[in-house]
Amino acid sequence: MKNKKLTSHLPFSFGMPAVIWQIVFFYLPLFFIVISSILKVTELGVVEGVTLEKLWLFLSPVYLGVIASSFLLALSNAVLCLFIAYPIAYFLAFTSHKFKNLFLFLLIVPFWTNFLLHVYAWFFVLEKEGFLNNLLRFLGIINEPIHFLNSIFAIMVMMVYYYLPFMLMPIFSSLERLDRRLIEASMDLGAGWSHTFRRILLPLTLSGVRGGFFLVYIPSFAEFAIPELMGGDKQMFVGSVVSHYILGEETGSLGAAFTVVSCVALLISVVLLYLLMNKFVKKVYG
Amino acid sequence: MRSIKLANLTKSKHGSLIIPKVNLTIPAGKFFALLGPSGCGKTTLLRLIAGLEDTEEGQIYLGDEDITHIPINQRPINMVFQSYALFPHLDVFDNIAYSLKLKKLPKLVIEQKVFKILESFHLVDHIHKLPSQLSGGQQQRVALARAIVSEPDVLLLDEPLAALDFKLRERMLIELIELQDKLKTTFVYVTHDQFEALTVADQMAIMNHDGTIEQIGTPKEIYEFPISSFVAKFVGTTNIFSGQLRNIHSDPEITIPDLGTFKVYLSQKKPWVVEGHEVSMSIRPEKIFITKKEVKNFSNHMKGTVQSIVYHGRSTQYNVNLKNGMRIQVFEQNEEHFPAEVVDYDNEVNLYWQKENVVILER
Repeated sequence: MKNKKLTSHLPFSFGMPAVIWQIVFFYLPLFFIVISSILKVTELGVVEGVTLEKLWLFLSPVYLGVIASSFLLALSNAVLCLFIAYPIAYFLAFTSHKFKNLFLFLLIVPFWTNFLLHVYAWFFVLEKEGFLNNLLRFLGIINEPIHFLNSIFAIMVMMVYYYLPFMLMPIFSSLERLDRRLIEASMDLGAGWSHTFRRILLPLTLSGVRGGFFLVYIPSFAEFAIPELMGGDKQMFVGSVVSHYILGEETGSLGAAFTVVSCVALLISVVLLYLLMNKFVKKVYG
Repeated sequence: MRSIKLANLTKSKHGSLIIPKVNLTIPAGKFFALLGPSGCGKTTLLRLIAGLEDTEEGQIYLGDEDITHIPINQRPINMVFQSYALFPHLDVFDNIAYSLKLKKLPKLVIEQKVFKILESFHLVDHIHKLPSQLSGGQQQRVALARAIVSEPDVLLLDEPLAALDFKLRERMLIELIELQDKLKTTFVYVTHDQFEALTVADQMAIMNHDGTIEQIGTPKEIYEFPISSFVAKFVGTTNIFSGQLRNIHSDPEITIPDLGTFKVYLSQKKPWVVEGHEVSMSIRPEKIFITKKEVKNFSNHMKGTVQSIVYHGRSTQYNVNLKNGMRIQVFEQNEEHFPAEVVDYDNEVNLYWQKENVVILER
């Protein structure tokens, strides 16, 4: 009996540190953010009561526009990553074992260097006298250099570059688990490539696609560094607005309020995208 | 129902030749078995016919039509995979209806066809189950149903019963024979199991380790009249002796060193049947009569000592040491509960056989 009790407590005690960590460093700060977004504080720092004023403030068109552009940024990043990652993952999963490990290794290598180094590397590629402009001029496609930097294009390039592995890995692992005979059986029964993809490959790798999609979509929504570094200050995104208020003098609670508003928006968008995805998948399966 | 003809079919993988210029005709509407040891290339041959792999050299004909370069999804040839390869996310109905839906048949026709086949396979109760909810034998039947529902010209079976236990396998073999008899589809059955091949085949081919076809014939021809010692040893069990041929024009004999001279029967004229030539002699264990007594009316006789006895149920296997140090196997049917004569360990025994039951092979 004693032993039984011990084993039933075991998972609980093993899980405890993680639970405590999660509470102290995630739920508690989140709680503070929510509280500070609705507290009414006088200029002298005295709490007067509760108000939704600050939250309402951010429901104005300007801020909703910021949320919308973050939504578009995250969505287009996730979709682009999906379309680029799936063929790569397919190639990786179905090449021979020896090369598979090499390719996976090459995918991991960039993570060993600092994020800022990646950004500067892309500066060299995209700047006026950079690699891309020189290449295009050499090929005779353009005469005058193009301003790639400080544009949506530069942001997207960096976003896709940075987030691609997060899409690739889950799709790769779900493809790798797939029995290749299933593809052969489908073709043998008379299906072409697109039918096999829609009816066999996609449904059986859906968990990977879904996982990768949200793994990219959610952090992209709040991405701060990449738009800031690559996009100049042309376009405002959720991340830059939050940092502006949080770092600004005595505007911390406004930052908290905007965080709450954008979190709710993110949550709604995730639910909607999830439902939309299900609907789309059902249609594709036919 | 169409025949398959392979002409000089060649395929290599990773630089080594797997299928070396194979010529083979698989007759239309027959149950054809391709038997060979593991890794001899028989599965590759099947995959080439299916179109799962590209032909390197040579042609594949379906009837009179050259299908060498026709893509897999346009060949009227279906395959039952060793692992079944059932689609795990589709239920039994959708798995079987897969090829019918591709043909854009009306919904009602698809349902009729699937129901008909489910009934004959006793799977109606499982129609909405996923493959993972079925037993091995049921999965096997779903795989079979999926492959034949669209009425292909040829059905390829790649060791389809390998994952089943012995009893179930025996039953499935009978079901397969009856199915082929009913459908008259050309069946090509690949296996390394000689028992399965002998059971199902109208015609069979034996492939050796190099991927070359050694012999084609009915199971009886293959078993009783193997043309090489590889075939004799691979199909069934046999005893092989080496010796010299003598008197080939009058009363043919074979002289085996340290053992004596034995009468043989030369059924066919072979180029290596030459006076004084070294040849091999194969005798199946069940063709030998074992007794402690002296018996007349047998053309051949030798003596030996029983080394060990293995009781198999329907037959008993005696391992007998000969005076030249060789050991041979003898099978006796266990016809009686209380046999008149009991042969035991270390008994001196006489072994008798008729010269017609011997096969002379090239060394």
